[in-house]
Amino acid sequence: MKNLIQDTIEKIKEQRISPEPKWKYLVKKYFLWALFAAVLILAAISFSAAYDNANNLDWDLYRFIHQSRFLYILSILPYFWIILIAIFLIAAFFEIRKTETGYRYSWSRILLIIAGGIAVFGGFISLLGFGGKLNSKLVKEVPFYSQHMMVTKESQWMQPSRGFLAGTITYVSENKIGIKDLNSDDWNINIDDNTLVKPSVNISREEMIKIIGTKTDENNFKAKEIRPWTGKGERKGSNGQGNRSSRARGN
Amino acid sequence: MDKQKSLSDTALVELATKNPESFGILMERYQGPLFHYIRRIAQLSKEDTEDLLQEVFIKIYQKLNEYNDELKFSSWAYRIAHNHVIDYFRKTSARPRTNSLEDSEWEKLIHSSVHVEKDIADGDCAKKIKICIGNLPVHYREVLILRFIEEKEYEEIMDILKKPKGTVATLIKRGKEMLVKRLEEENINCF
Repeated sequence: MKNLIQDTIEKIKEQRISPEPKWKYLVKKYFLWALFAAVLILAAISFSAAYDNANNLDWDLYRFIHQSRFLYILSILPYFWIILIAIFLIAAFFEIRKTETGYRYSWSRILLIIAGGIAVFGGFISLLGFGGKLNSKLVKEVPFYSQHMMVTKESQWMQPSRGFLAGTITYVSENKIGIKDLNSDDWNINIDDNTLVKPSVNISREEMIKIIGTKTDENNFKAKEIRPWTGKGERKGSNGQGNRSSRARGN
Repeated sequence: MDKQKSLSDTALVELATKNPESFGILMERYQGPLFHYIRRIAQLSKEDTEDLLQEVFIKIYQKLNEYNDELKFSSWAYRIAHNHVIDYFRKTSARPRTNSLEDSEWEKLIHSSVHVEKDIADGDCAKKIKICIGNLPVHYREVLILRFIEEKEYEEIMDILKKPKGTVATLIKRGKEMLVKRLEEENINCF
């Protein structure tokens, strides 16, 4: 065995074998961490966009289409962002496992810490309004996004045949409101004393509203409930009830 | 050089990056343990094991700058040996031919898995048991060798195999169960 040591040292000297430079390992190490940071940022952006998307949807519409709450929630979840978050989460998991001591931690602990990091960082950039801006940009510039990839607020409220319509008020009269919907088509909205107008709705020209009701023909829609474009229209301290005579202000 | 013999592994690693002679001291310290470890998992002849060990030492020397003193040097060196043996199996598609554990070594393994009431060193039975151990999948065999023959702690095995502690514990448990099952399947009832 003594010879093995001498032979090895001689071989090292003869073949001029030398330790690989430290910078190579450092570059690899920092590259892995940079990649991890990039993946975490992308996951946080996805989280922020998913949160914004979910936050803008009306989650109670199942009541109007006679569907179970569970199935309705399943049908409107932002799957595109959820899948992206899952992909980034798995990528970040493997990045951590590739680090020098990443193998020491169980998969559940690593996933939990990364998921927590994504939620905290994603929540922070949501507060800065990043997710909202990204969603708006995608809705405007990538039609495929809102048409096929995601249930957006816009697509949720542009289903007149299912009883959901949204648009900007063009005129207000005694029993009718005119709106230009999100596709710039004109509609006459019939309202009566049974129409529930949510407390914070401002029925006047140029205001955006959401309407729940029934499509009666090509351009006519009977309103059952009217909500403001943003939120469900409840006010603090209000029981959410109202009717068209107490809310409508003709212009 | 004699002064260097009293230095810690980490200090020697630092010196060895500048002078291969200092690496000789590290080799002296680990040639015995690594030789036996490689022989036990690779199950090769003495000459082939020495060739593999030399390749492992050269690999360790080339990677000296990668060594991180958060790990024990021995765990790091065992890890390189483990990876090299796995690569060797991949390249040669070799399967272990015979079980090269000493009688006292495989007795330790058997004792770790089943309750032994009788002297198991009786010829035919011992041979069959050796074959059962040798036929275990390499990752189970290796983890059993590390735990019960090399007598490594779970943390060290974790660092050598780069697997979480829970996985190491599972591998040991399943390895032991598999060994008992194989012994039963082969109808080996020597105990």
